[in-house]
Amino acid sequence: MAVAWIGNREALIEHAAAHAASLLSSSRCPVFSFDTDIDGTRAAIALAERAGAAYDHADGAALARETALFTDKGAMTVAPGETRRRADVVVIVGELPRIHHGLVGELAGTVPDLSTGNQREFFVVGPNGMSVPPLNGGRKATQLSCGQSSLAATLAALRAQYKGQRTSQPVSNFNDFAKALAAAHFPVFLFSGHAAEGLALEMLQGLIADLNRKSRASGLHLPANENGWGSTLASAWMTGFPLRTGFARGFPEFDPWRCDVARMIAAGEADLHLRISATTAQPKEKKRRIALIALTKTQEPVAGAAVTIAIGEAGVDHDAVVYSSRTGSLRSIDAQAASQLPSAATIIRLIATHAFAEAPPC
Amino acid sequence: MLTKIASGDIIDPVNGRLGKGDLWIKDDKIVPAPAGGAADRIIEASGCIVMAGAIDIHSHIGGGNVNTARLLLPEQHAAHQVRPATTPLSNAGWSTFQTGCLYAKMGFTTVVEPAMSPGAALHTHLELADIPIIDKATLAILGNDDFLLSMIRDDAPRTMIEDYVAWTVASTRALGVKVINAGAAAAFKENVRTFSLDDVVPSYGVSSRKIVKTLQAAVDSLGLPHPLHVHCNNLGSPGSADTAAATIAAADGLPLHLAHLQFYGYGTEGKRGFSSAAARLAELVNATPEVTIDIGQVMFGQTVTVSSDVMRQFSARGSAHPKKTVIHDGDGNGGGIVPYSYGKDFYGTMQWAIGLELFLLIDDPWRVFFTTDHPNGAPFTAYPALFELLMSREARTEMTAGLSSSALALSTLAAIDREYTFEEIAIMTRAAPAKLLGLTDRGHLGAGATADIAIYRRDRSIAKMLGRAAYVFKDGDLVVQDGEIIHYRWGKALRLKPPVDKAMVRRLEDYHQQRYGLSLDWFNFPDSAIAREQPFGEVPCRT
Ligand SMILES: [Zn+2]
Repeated sequence: MAVAWIGNREALIEHAAAHAASLLSSSRCPVFSFDTDIDGTRAAIALAERAGAAYDHADGAALARETALFTDKGAMTVAPGETRRRADVVVIVGELPRIHHGLVGELAGTVPDLSTGNQREFFVVGPNGMSVPPLNGGRKATQLSCGQSSLAATLAALRAQYKGQRTSQPVSNFNDFAKALAAAHFPVFLFSGHAAEGLALEMLQGLIADLNRKSRASGLHLPANENGWGSTLASAWMTGFPLRTGFARGFPEFDPWRCDVARMIAAGEADLHLRISATTAQPKEKKRRIALIALTKTQEPVAGAAVTIAIGEAGVDHDAVVYSSRTGSLRSIDAQAASQLPSAATIIRLIATHAFAEAPPC
Repeated sequence: MLTKIASGDIIDPVNGRLGKGDLWIKDDKIVPAPAGGAADRIIEASGCIVMAGAIDIHSHIGGGNVNTARLLLPEQHAAHQVRPATTPLSNAGWSTFQTGCLYAKMGFTTVVEPAMSPGAALHTHLELADIPIIDKATLAILGNDDFLLSMIRDDAPRTMIEDYVAWTVASTRALGVKVINAGAAAAFKENVRTFSLDDVVPSYGVSSRKIVKTLQAAVDSLGLPHPLHVHCNNLGSPGSADTAAATIAAADGLPLHLAHLQFYGYGTEGKRGFSSAAARLAELVNATPEVTIDIGQVMFGQTVTVSSDVMRQFSARGSAHPKKTVIHDGDGNGGGIVPYSYGKDFYGTMQWAIGLELFLLIDDPWRVFFTTDHPNGAPFTAYPALFELLMSREARTEMTAGLSSSALALSTLAAIDREYTFEEIAIMTRAAPAKLLGLTDRGHLGAGATADIAIYRRDRSIAKMLGRAAYVFKDGDLVVQDGEIIHYRWGKALRLKPPVDKAMVRRLEDYHQQRYGLSLDWFNFPDSAIAREQPFGEVPCRT
């Protein structure tokens, strides 16, 4: 089975890696995008430093909104385990990514054992008709909306009404919500950057801060992408900064606009794209005159790629450490169907040793 | 390889070796002078002092809360130098890589991260594994977790509690146990806003004192070398000296370590109701031999407070500078990140003076430990300046010139003549930490010790001398020369491995299934998950 290609020609992995390395060495403005485990992230960032590359998640926009909440405003958050055990009111804020629907269903199917009432009520904030994760046991979430107003506007209205201020358009079912909050011991708001604008995330934190003046409440961060949040954490410890950091000047600089890799590609700033994602073979961007090195789980070369190297999927082909929104931390997972396919980290390090004399530290 | 460190002033209090002489290293160990005496490498150390590598027992260098602080404050740790050839990412501000390099340059070779949330053990160890050169260790946090509080409430047998503590230490690969504002994080979840030693956690009916005493006894009975590491209640409040005094009294004959005592050195005198109680606390420490403390010295400037004392951090939100914070309710403690700038005003001066008073008024350098509670009192990069303040009365007098005189008037600092000697520094930062942590292979320069060695060229400026080591050896590798890193290597995380009781594992499996809907597997990890060769080094328990 072929595992590496230079253009459309089959090649030895060593040769493909060497070719990728030469492209990287001669690139004026390389960019990396990845959707990978912790070790893959570590290897990619170590290579980015050497290559002077900017790096981002493969689907960076939603993550960037979540990151901005932390870098610009801060937040009150709660662990998923505490949410399950303590939340007597659960508020779903905007549409949540599908990967978290299981957790929401589970919250609906259980009661908080550390809360005196041992019961849980559900609300959902957002425009009428938004999709809501299915709740177990035929339970219903009470909708809090201002018609078709945006999530941010609805949250602003909710916050104002909670403070007893007049609002132009009242929030539907507000009295039910107010009653539930008055009785609640630990309401938890589930949020994600998936569908929520930065302003909505900020407004939600404002509401949570207001609630905490007299009682308790917090927010459960459900990342738009689990690998993406894992990479954000690894990037923070390795460089001090989250994703959308670049090494163009030889040291890490965080700039969520300048180092938005999708933007850099679209604007023609980048001349080489290293894309690392076992699960997505085709880059989303329109075809540009930019060299692509694709590391992906594939049996054929990626169309238009200068180099394609097959990699395994973390937790499927090989053991891995990944972010788990179920525990709110990093988790070690075993390969479900161990295979010979190399990990992303292995191939990145192979490219690094071809491109640069010294072995990388990660 | 045989290395001779020639003609240095050796300061090795453990082995009673003080004065000019040679020190020999074979591979990674210190050895007696060999009969033949032919060294493969000679390090000329005349004009230098030679000490064991320093050990920091309390510095927040990695883990969930530290990393959240990085996320919160990207503007505060920009790098400004390009990547050096041999040490990738070491100029990345506040990165794991920079942490290892900066510590090594000062001659520190072992550093303890004192606040590992058990649920984030894998994350913490992954961060620590990316800290180059030095060895690391962690203390696992207990005392706000439902499992322990329920056992105490239900009068569980002592052995069952010990089994749980042993399982936590073993499964998280910790070197000890820390309790942080015992019971307060649990109480805060039930909307309690202040919490003292004899306050009771709602729903459990268990007092903070009871939690501390239970854990102290379990740690002692299990033979964990490091005594229970306590972050007391009421950190930072005027009058917190009473809480610290009550906690010291509660040690009651069993070993107990109190962290960052400076943050509890506050009385309520003066027109601002905020004064130094350092002399009183120092006297209590001097009179209580089973108690050890570290300082948590405040130095002036911008920093960020990172603490698993979530109740305290929540109440400190108003003082955030810049105005942004993260407050996290975790499975046990959670934590809070509050950026803060220590000014040379009344309060900043008071805190600075209290830390120094404690350092200088506690007589026994074996029981007082050198920390800034990095980054809470100051970043660890302030250590050279702090050494100078301890070793030079003149430096202290010079420093006080720009500070609040009304604060200094409420402190005894000006009246203290004491200057630490190099021998006392060697005890406080080498010998005593090794003893306190149960690390018999380091903290001294005797034959058989690990070759962790710091060599400093004498200079009129103590800060300059101790800030840039002339040479540093880690496990016999020469890693620093003339204050610069010349070689990357990967240290270990030192851990205990107490035996784990199978019935406790079954009990915990049931508990996690029932309460979290998850198997215990979600929280366990193999050593291979760290992705480094031999990421851990085992330290034996007391027998
Ligand atoms: Zn601390």
